[in-house]
Amino acid sequence: MSQSAMNGGFKKSLVLGGVTVSFLALAAGFFLDLWGHPTQSPLIPLVATNFINTATVRVSAGELIASGGDASGLDCYACHEKNKPLKLTFDAESNVILAKEHDDIVMGHGRHKRNNNCFNCHDDTNLEFLQTRDGHQVKLVDSPALCGSCHGPTYRDWEAGVHGRTSGYWKRDLGPIDRKVCTSCHDPHSPAFPGREPAPGPHLLHPIAKVSKERIR
Amino acid sequence: MSDLNDSCACPPNNGISRRNFLRSSTVLASGIAALAASLAPLRELTNYTSMEQFMQKYYREMTPPEMEKVLERIAHEVERQYQIRPHVRDYKPMDGVEFVYCLNLTRCIGCRKCVHACVAENNQSCNPEIQYIRVLKMPHGSLDMEKGDHNYAPSSVPEKGFFYMPVQCQQCKNPPCVKVCPVKATWQEPDGITVIDYDWCIGCRYCEAACPYFARRFNFTRPSIPKERLNPNMSYLGNRPRKQGVMEKCHFCIQRTRAGKYPACLEVCPTGARKFGNILDPNSEVSSILRTKRVFIQLKEEIGTSPRFFYYFDV
Ligand code: HEC
Ligand code: HEC
Ligand code: HEC
Ligand code: HEC
Repeated sequence: MSQSAMNGGFKKSLVLGGVTVSFLALAAGFFLDLWGHPTQSPLIPLVATNFINTATVRVSAGELIASGGDASGLDCYACHEKNKPLKLTFDAESNVILAKEHDDIVMGHGRHKRNNNCFNCHDDTNLEFLQTRDGHQVKLVDSPALCGSCHGPTYRDWEAGVHGRTSGYWKRDLGPIDRKVCTSCHDPHSPAFPGREPAPGPHLLHPIAKVSKERIR
Repeated sequence: MSDLNDSCACPPNNGISRRNFLRSSTVLASGIAALAASLAPLRELTNYTSMEQFMQKYYREMTPPEMEKVLERIAHEVERQYQIRPHVRDYKPMDGVEFVYCLNLTRCIGCRKCVHACVAENNQSCNPEIQYIRVLKMPHGSLDMEKGDHNYAPSSVPEKGFFYMPVQCQQCKNPPCVKVCPVKATWQEPDGITVIDYDWCIGCRYCEAACPYFARRFNFTRPSIPKERLNPNMSYLGNRPRKQGVMEKCHFCIQRTRAGKYPACLEVCPTGARKFGNILDPNSEVSSILRTKRVFIQLKEEIGTSPRFFYYFDV
């Protein structure tokens, strides 16, 4: 009887010892990080901040003045003489021939060169002003009034906040709104919306694109 | 020592001699220690749930003081993880407000600025990436969402012959995702926003499967948000950081829109294609669009989800 009890005790501690050793091995494994972590997906770089800012595609004359940037180009009478009428010259394809001081201007309003006469918009008697289609003088920074005189339906949409962008507070009694003017998005001289580089697309968890193409074939 | 053994009243032959006892208790002690050590990985679990969160009540049953406590707990957790003290609030819906989104497909150029502004505003994980908005590049003449490609990467957009359709949660009037949730962790609010209580979600992903617009995202791993991109203006049902194992999706920037502001995706759009507002206000942009524009598309409207997200063309 004593013999079998001794045997039982020995077996028990053998089992217990075995279990302990395996737990210890497991613990050591975790401690030494034998299995490693799940394979890290390749690091995704942070998207550049120009893709998350609220800037429009261009800076209007009004915004340029308000931000205190270089507005020397808007000071027409730094170069021009008051009361001296300007004569426009056109080439054989009826494009305006521009002075080299103005070669940053690319004239291309509409697809049929139908609006490339500077004085369709600028006031020929006072360059610091714009002139609407129905003959009103408006300030250079007041582009919507000018554009609206030819683009009525778009202007009405803009007034209702439907064309262009109105940001700030949708609930007007809680805060101000910021309605971008036409020239924040359109270059008045070439108003078609410019193309731009898209922000990076989604990164796949696993680069499966190749495999699925194989499968399709 | 030996007299101790002798003085023992127990019969010597019952199997528990002093030596046996010592031996097996040493084995037992080291066994328990080894077991504890081998359970070390469980310690990481505290990153997933705290006791307070576990004991927390259902969102709609919490009293304001209870909510205060929860918001404080969240602020504390965020501060511990990011060393930034956030401003966590529980924004409530406004009376007489139902939100609607309109997106002008003639304007959108597919620049994806909305995707990334949304990530930054709503504290989405950057690695792995979680994005609420997918921009689909679609061939002209098609409106089949399944034909869209969201991996386009030309040097300049828009590309000739294609239009671009950003898709995010459509905030359905009749949301299938809400119906399938077994624990009511997602529901529709009076202002039309379908929200998720991240502390109530059990991560079963039924809602993800039920959504016909693929708008719901699951946190397969612990989200990682770079500190410099953490938005400290947070809301309980909105952009507070999520944990591993819960669902998330677009909530119309609840922390902005319930404070009267426009959502981040609208603010960042360079073309002005995105319009948002209160459909119950006849002077809002969205009301005037639905009144004056002619062609509207509600994605997959034939399945009866009745989205509050309208796509339209300028004609
Ligand atoms: C850096 C100097 C400079 C500034 C500033 C400037 N101009 Fe000129 N501009 C010229 C010169 C030089 C000519 C050549 C014609 C001339 O003076 O007779 C010219 C010509 C023009 C013409 C005729 C088309 C052409 O290119 O020949 C128009 C129209 C015109 N300017 C409008 C403006 C307006 C409007 C402003 C202010 C918003 C302005 N300019 C500011 C230097 C300037
Ligand atoms: C469609 C109307 C329109 C026409 C046509 C037009 N302009 Fe302008 N121009 C504007 C408006 C509006 C601004 C103010 C721009 C702003 O807000 O950014 C402007 C600004 C300018 C400026 C100052 C800012 C700058 O872009 O350098 C100059 C110089 C200028 N115009 C010259 C000309 C000349 C020269 C012509 C003819 C070749 C011409 N414009 C034709 C509408 C017009
Ligand atoms: C004197 C009238 C007139 C004024 C003022 C005017 N436009 Fe235009 N605009 C036109 C005409 C004409 C077209 C050409 C339409 C066409 O080609 O079918 C045009 C075309 C356009 C286009 C379409 C361009 C394209 O290539 O698709 C845009 C955008 C535009 N204008 C914006 C503006 C903006 C912004 C202003 C104010 C800075 C403005 N327009 C002022 C007459 C005007
Ligand atoms: C937030 C930017 C933004 C503002 C502000 C804006 N537009 Fe546009 N506009 C666009 C975009 C984008 C298009 C699409 C043009 C394209 O595809 O070339 C467009 C198109 C147009 C067109 C071409 C016709 C059409 O509907 O496609 C006209 C005309 C036009 N805009 C006039 C205006 C006028 C007038 C204003 C100011 C009252 C204005 N825009 C303000 C972004 C803007």
